[in-house]
Amino acid sequence: MSAAPTATGGDGPVPPPRTSAPGVATDPPTFDGTAAAPPAGAVGDVAWPTAVPVAEPAAPVVAEVEPGRVRWDPAERRARASQSFWTAVVGVPAIFSVLRLGVEAGGELQTTLLLVANVGPVNLLAGFLTTAARLLSTGMVAVFALGAVLAVSADRLPPGTRRRPLFARWADITPAWVVLASFLLALITWPLLYLPLLVPAFVAAFQLRPGRLHERVAPRLLLIGALLAGYGWLMLPTLRDAVQQGDEWLVLALLVVPPLLAVFIAGPLPGLVIRPLASVTEVAVLATLVWAAVPVISTPVLPLTVTTVGPESGPTEDVRGHVVTTDDVNMVILQEQGGVRYVPVDLVRAQVLCPSEEELPRHQLRIHDFHVEDSLLEGMGRRVRPVHRIDAACRTPA
Amino acid sequence: MNTRTAQSRLRAMATTLAVALTLTLAAAAGCDSRQQPDLPSVQEKLRETHIYGQSKLRIGVATNEPLMGELRNGQHVGFDVEIGRYVAASLGYEGDQRLEFVSVSTEDRIPALQGGTVDLVVSSFSMTEDRKKLVNFAGPYFVTTQEVMVPTRLKDRIRTIEDLRDPAYKVCTSGGSTTEAELEKHQVKTFVVKDVGDCVDGIRKGRYDAVSSDEAILAGFLASFPKEFEIVDMPFGTSELLGIGVPIGDPALRDLVAFFLQKSYQQGRDGQASPWQTAYNRTLGPWLKAEKRQPQPLEVPKLVDFDDKAPAK
Repeated sequence: MSAAPTATGGDGPVPPPRTSAPGVATDPPTFDGTAAAPPAGAVGDVAWPTAVPVAEPAAPVVAEVEPGRVRWDPAERRARASQSFWTAVVGVPAIFSVLRLGVEAGGELQTTLLLVANVGPVNLLAGFLTTAARLLSTGMVAVFALGAVLAVSADRLPPGTRRRPLFARWADITPAWVVLASFLLALITWPLLYLPLLVPAFVAAFQLRPGRLHERVAPRLLLIGALLAGYGWLMLPTLRDAVQQGDEWLVLALLVVPPLLAVFIAGPLPGLVIRPLASVTEVAVLATLVWAAVPVISTPVLPLTVTTVGPESGPTEDVRGHVVTTDDVNMVILQEQGGVRYVPVDLVRAQVLCPSEEELPRHQLRIHDFHVEDSLLEGMGRRVRPVHRIDAACRTPA
Repeated sequence: MNTRTAQSRLRAMATTLAVALTLTLAAAAGCDSRQQPDLPSVQEKLRETHIYGQSKLRIGVATNEPLMGELRNGQHVGFDVEIGRYVAASLGYEGDQRLEFVSVSTEDRIPALQGGTVDLVVSSFSMTEDRKKLVNFAGPYFVTTQEVMVPTRLKDRIRTIEDLRDPAYKVCTSGGSTTEAELEKHQVKTFVVKDVGDCVDGIRKGRYDAVSSDEAILAGFLASFPKEFEIVDMPFGTSELLGIGVPIGDPALRDLVAFFLQKSYQQGRDGQASPWQTAYNRTLGPWLKAEKRQPQPLEVPKLVDFDDKAPAK
């Protein structure tokens, strides 16, 4: 234990989390040579000049002390990481999309096959990305933010005590641009209400300490104060509305607290916390992703429409469902309540696009006329096409 | 050295706390995003109403009140009819195939709702305390005043309520209307007939000398016979709030109708073309002396609808 502080003292501040790998590969032998067995090394150098076996103990010692870091060559590791990254990027949406088709078809094999035959892979992938971008960016932001916090904390730990946490290793090998891209994706796809949480997450992921703002304390405090004041000014009308509505405490907390937390979040955690935090968050992130993936899988692939069907002059019927395909003879509609209906094209009188009930807002709050549950993208979209009329046919029961 | 250790320990504590709070907030946000809205939605309300699943919506309207509710060449036209169409379309009943206009006379409006022969009544139905015990009202969608219409030959002789009390003049009004009660309060002896149209017919045939009803209905008859009649402004002092009648056992439908009237009211207030304004301009607008605006509906429930996220401006 007594040797540990010297080792960390030399190691800790020098390599930043993301660039530590190359340094580690060359450094440890010297550190270990000096720290672990100084007398042996000294004796060895002097008394056994021709003794080759000296190299033998050196390699196992390194492997023992820092198994997580030196197992692979960093270049190879990077290559493997990039390989698995691209496998995930292509594979996960593909698997999800196929799963979604099965769910969309109501679990019926024949219906699933009908959908597979008619929904193009590009449409499927695009449809998946529109609904899953939010989930995807949430997962990535969570992993990178937690990973960076754990990494900077693990650097302070005595070496050899434990393998670096999983998220920390992920954060280490991920290029900065991927982290930045996932934050940008989150910025445009998260509901505005949750965007403040992105501030502490960003600060944590890049370990931006307040010290970066200014080296002296007074201007630093002033800058932080000004930033927070600007944020408060932006949010003031919404906060006032939330207070007036009375029961919106969570909204108030979500809008006010995260930017304040961002000031303190960068920095290492006490050694005591790291292990439980690492294992709990790994399980929690996994559980959350699974839990949040369920609605993504069950989100429809095709848009919801109501088709009015009936002869030229006679009673009509409204068919509520998703249009799978239309050819010269039939329009194939996957009904909302289940089952496929082949409607002769001649009988189709009208068709309207309908919103689904999952799109109903939960809060009645706006941030400068942007609804808090809209993402920046959706909010901008509503500015381009401001009026959305709900067609009467959409109100009819399924 | 000690202060530095203490400082870094404090710093580590703050960081731990910040991380823990951020994670808690994120978890709370995740739970919140999966919750149902607190407020009832329009769709939910619709499911509670007696019209849910009905293939047609039946609306009770007048057929002999020009400009308000009239049957012209087999088509129902008028301000009330247009308002009825707007409410029906909002409830999911659009087009003649899904909408049935049922003729109800002034006195049949309450029995028709009670008996279930109509789902809504949009027929110059004044919202009064007595009627509220029998039917539900959504509205008002129009505010009018009581007026008297006289044939041109009598326009100089009937000018005040005092003149109406003169037994020489026969004053006619429709049965079961608020006008009947109001005239009784002023001790005016009235001849009660079924509809205001019958009074107008009677005057043209010389049976009566004056007809009293609300301004909108009288404006309609004035529009039909502009040379024969004149409206006399009399200080009855009561304003009539016209509402949409809903069966008393269906508060969900009342709430929905009020919600959609409010939607139109807000559109008009934001300077957009509201359904109410369109209906008014097409029917009553050119015939009323003073410009009218949609009154604010009363007791409007807060409901969640699909277009809630649309920008307000």
